[in-house]
Amino acid sequence: MNDLIALHNIVKVYPPNVLAVDDVSVSFCKGEIHSIVGENGAGKSTLMKLLYGLVPFDSGRIEFGGVNVRFRKPGDAIAMGIGMVHQEIVLIPQYSVWENVVLGAEPVRTLGRIDSRTAIDAVRSKIEEFQFNLDPLAIVDDISVAARQKVEILKLLFRNVSVLILDEPTAVLTPQEIPQLFAELKRLRDRGHTILFISHRLDEVLELSDRITIMRKGRKVATVEASETNKESLATMMVGRQVIFTSKRTPHQRGELVFEAQHVDWERGDGLKLLDDVSFSVHAGEIVGIAGVEGNGQFELVNSIMGLEQPTRGSFLVKGKDITSLSILERRKLISFVPQDRGKMGASLSASILDNAIMTHHRLEKRFSRWHGLVLDYRKARDFVDMLKERFSVQMASRQSDFRSLSGGNQQKVILARELLLATPFFLMDQPTRGLDVGSIEYVHGEILAMREADRAVLLISADLEELFLVADRILVMHRGCIVADLMTEKTTIEEVGAYMLGGRASA
Amino acid sequence: MKRRLWSGLVGVVVALAVGALIMLAQGYKPLSTYVALFQFSLGGIGPFTTTLKNSVPLVLTGLSAAVAFASGPVNLGQPGQFVFGALAATLGGLYIRLPAVLEIPLLLLLAIAGGALWSSIAAFLRRAFEMSEFIVTLMLNMIADFFTAWVIAFPLMDRKAFSPMTPQIAKSGWMPDLGLLSSSTLVMLGAVVLVWFVFHRWRAGYEWRMTGQNSVFARLGGCDIHRNFLAVMLVTGALAGLAGGLVVMAGPHRFIKGLGANYAWDGIMIAIMANNSIVGTLVYGVFIAAIQTGALGMELITNVPSEIAQVLQAVLVLIIVATREYTNVLLDRLSARRQAKERAA
Repeated sequence: MNDLIALHNIVKVYPPNVLAVDDVSVSFCKGEIHSIVGENGAGKSTLMKLLYGLVPFDSGRIEFGGVNVRFRKPGDAIAMGIGMVHQEIVLIPQYSVWENVVLGAEPVRTLGRIDSRTAIDAVRSKIEEFQFNLDPLAIVDDISVAARQKVEILKLLFRNVSVLILDEPTAVLTPQEIPQLFAELKRLRDRGHTILFISHRLDEVLELSDRITIMRKGRKVATVEASETNKESLATMMVGRQVIFTSKRTPHQRGELVFEAQHVDWERGDGLKLLDDVSFSVHAGEIVGIAGVEGNGQFELVNSIMGLEQPTRGSFLVKGKDITSLSILERRKLISFVPQDRGKMGASLSASILDNAIMTHHRLEKRFSRWHGLVLDYRKARDFVDMLKERFSVQMASRQSDFRSLSGGNQQKVILARELLLATPFFLMDQPTRGLDVGSIEYVHGEILAMREADRAVLLISADLEELFLVADRILVMHRGCIVADLMTEKTTIEEVGAYMLGGRASA
Repeated sequence: MKRRLWSGLVGVVVALAVGALIMLAQGYKPLSTYVALFQFSLGGIGPFTTTLKNSVPLVLTGLSAAVAFASGPVNLGQPGQFVFGALAATLGGLYIRLPAVLEIPLLLLLAIAGGALWSSIAAFLRRAFEMSEFIVTLMLNMIADFFTAWVIAFPLMDRKAFSPMTPQIAKSGWMPDLGLLSSSTLVMLGAVVLVWFVFHRWRAGYEWRMTGQNSVFARLGGCDIHRNFLAVMLVTGALAGLAGGLVVMAGPHRFIKGLGANYAWDGIMIAIMANNSIVGTLVYGVFIAAIQTGALGMELITNVPSEIAQVLQAVLVLIIVATREYTNVLLDRLSARRQAKERAA
């Protein structure tokens, strides 16, 4: 066999008792693109981090080129020729491309002065060697996300790695940027590099890989040839049951006007408009999606609607009532909210499940308090959590367990349930499925569609176009703080929305 | 809960062992020293009630710190709020004369108001100018210290005394002797129960706790975090002020120089040892009071200087906090290893 890397019976437990990798054996050949697919929490990232020396493993062994190895730190792995590009890009934005590439391995002259000419030449020749189309003198802050990712890869190639691990590299890219990345990866493979590609996007994986290893709940399900499988069978192996990729959306008559944004501007301190004349409306029984590359004003829009920030101009109306200057508590009587960041905005991880579940209800619902709101009725609160657990089938050890002890999917269920059970006409959801596994995503989508049936107005902000096409009735596209398109889902395509996201206008 | 109890116990035992090593190195006999120490603080009803009485300022300032830290505000102004509470109670006792049933509650209320007044300055400065309460409360401690020193040395000085102190307060404002349990201990226990109830059962307490753990989440959930901040500052100032008032009313019955001693700083330490838990603050407060109380008796019958109690106290704080954190890491790692072994087998 020409196995370059072989993992034997690897076990990793995250203290105290999360079995992240469960007796996994897998091998990777020289010169192949090998994808690792699985739901979130399936252990694919952890497996790669174990190989890379970022996380220690508890038992098993790793063979690299026929020799047993155990990397204590990533530096050891890089020295042996294994490099990893993480999901988040970690470059110094103020530095130029070449400075970022050589950082930590700078060619120096006497007295430790950096030999910039040699460095720039070396970086330039690497760029040409791999046809990366980058300017070594450009400042990282000024280049696109796709280009930054290339810098990350270049950084590793500069250190002469032969094995590249990429952790969900396409998550930060727009649909148009992905083919270019894939072309570059294939070119690297043809020159003898081994590429380990972590992803849960099956279409991409099928297009790119030579072989695919499927993981579920920390275990390896199978390793298959990409040419001998298809999306449905991969999904079945990933999830352990059949997954339906088509929308369950049924025609539904939209009702009265519920939410309205009228000419909203939000200016940063330095005068930059992060929201620029944003106007749109959401009706009862309608799901309106907002698409856009992250950082195009979605965050400011959410904060302004919720009252964390005051817009500089314009107003928000719910059921005809101007909420722009209301307190957050007053807004919460009209708005349910699922934020994108569960641990920072949606819950308190160190508080109990019960404490998390009654937030907002503790003020808006009379039955939770006695003595004119002085004392909370914890018995009612416990009944409430039991009901919520039953109705939304939340897996929890006890009501008093820390919120952090729940899995991501169950955390989101509690948050979603809490917000659903508020009697509000308008529901704002900011990336409600981020970081969830396929099963939980299906569940959340089902709940969103049920809200539509119940004639609530839903505004869904998502970076995931497939999600928007699955559930939204109408898709608005945000670009640089403006709403640049308002499209009926039935009358548009992913490509059209992607073009608006990138350029602000369709350039078909 | 069970784990917290165990890690606390382990911490205490380890700390006492380290204290014993220090005493050995100094050439003292640790065992007989500890026997003397705890005989004079916990060995019998008499010593125990003295310990309880001595724990009053420690527990109350500890509660103040625990409630503040668990709710968000970094109120480190207990020393200042303590002396302002003491001063307010003294002023009331000097100029208002009522029967004891009215005088005592009035003076306690004045002490509460005095502490709250002092902490409200920091709360106001935070609201108006976004000044960090962390630094403001620390600075206000200095001001309170020198202000009360001036008050007892000039306007309120007792001319007959040799060192700066006020005259005695009205007899009706003295905390009465109830025999076994001192009346100030009862006030303290009442305060502990009330604070626990507010913190764990009131809606306000729920919002304080949630704000302390994640203020953005609490704010998005509809909690008025500005009003809660003010409320917590006032309540915690009031608790420290009450401690000061009780020290005056139960002890020297006047404001004497150095009245605040180290009570408030010890209280902050106790809150840290207790990880801001209210019951924990009571337990550790009494424990520290036992060491401080026993130290005096220990000095009487052994040749160990009472300063060793301060060493012991410092060792306790460090080791209990370290043990708590480390036990958690250790237990987590152990169970991880056990599970890994099971899978590999």
